[in-house]
Amino acid sequence: MDRETAGLALAVVTILAVLAAVYPILPANSEQFSELGVLGPGQKIGGYPTSVAVGQGFNLYVYVGNHEGDSAYYQVLVKEGNQATAISNSTAASLPPVMSDSLILANNASTTFPMTVSMNTAGLNQRLIFELWMLNTTTSSFAYTGIWNQLWLNVSSS
Amino acid sequence: MALLLLLLWCPAAARAASEASFASAYSSVQSAFVGVHNAEARGGNVTSLVAQLDGALSLIQTASNENSSNPSQAGRDLQNATTIALSVEAAAPSVGQQGATARQAQFALSIGLAAVIVAVASALYVFGDRIYHRLWLRAYGGYLVKKVG
Repeated sequence: MDRETAGLALAVVTILAVLAAVYPILPANSEQFSELGVLGPGQKIGGYPTSVAVGQGFNLYVYVGNHEGDSAYYQVLVKEGNQATAISNSTAASLPPVMSDSLILANNASTTFPMTVSMNTAGLNQRLIFELWMLNTTTSSFAYTGIWNQLWLNVSSS
Repeated sequence: MALLLLLLWCPAAARAASEASFASAYSSVQSAFVGVHNAEARGGNVTSLVAQLDGALSLIQTASNENSSNPSQAGRDLQNATTIALSVEAAAPSVGQQGATARQAQFALSIGLAAVIVAVASALYVFGDRIYHRLWLRAYGGYLVKKVG
């Protein structure tokens, strides 16, 4: 091996070794996001009820995942709406929650918890809306994450 | 009148917990979470504190569910949730301090290690030939060349 090749090999090994040494103090650069999922009674995607009666309780499971880079304090708000209810990734539905659940998750943790819900208003194409809110520690208030889910239901009066 | 007297005689714990009690418990958890979040930002390991706070939230939820059927137990659960939140809030600053110290030590270790690696590499580059020749001489210097045939 000539001197130039040896010098190049030494430089490459040195750079790799230095990168390995400072890796623990480099800031994490991964995408930050939260997850919300509504699962059926069997804790799977599917098997959701499509027709229920007013006041008839049914079981669902809610999945929440935290990949925000640090721990997060979440609120899952359940709202009862219909086809006319406006909701988007930037604006939450302007309806009072009929149910809510609060939870705190460490970074990269997730949880699935049961929820027994019932509808109060009869009608076709009613929507059960699930919104994920998160505590903003700077303002000490909950803010809509823009993550939501819904279940379409035909609700009979009896 | 008799009902009023009965209500006055009932111990406070036997009455349903008020909305204000729930709001107060939630407020304690929220305040503790802000402390935990700050400790985490300083590098503290907050896994245990997060689990405790989530447990406090579960207690509040349980209290909400049992408030009409078992108000005294609901009151105790709310009290326990608040106690947990207060202890977590009190512990958070020291966890944050430990994290900051560990982060500083890690920083010093990484920078020190990188400096040593660069110094060794530089020395190898400058004195590598000389070191190699000395080692070679030490290993093979005692060999004698024998005449063949």
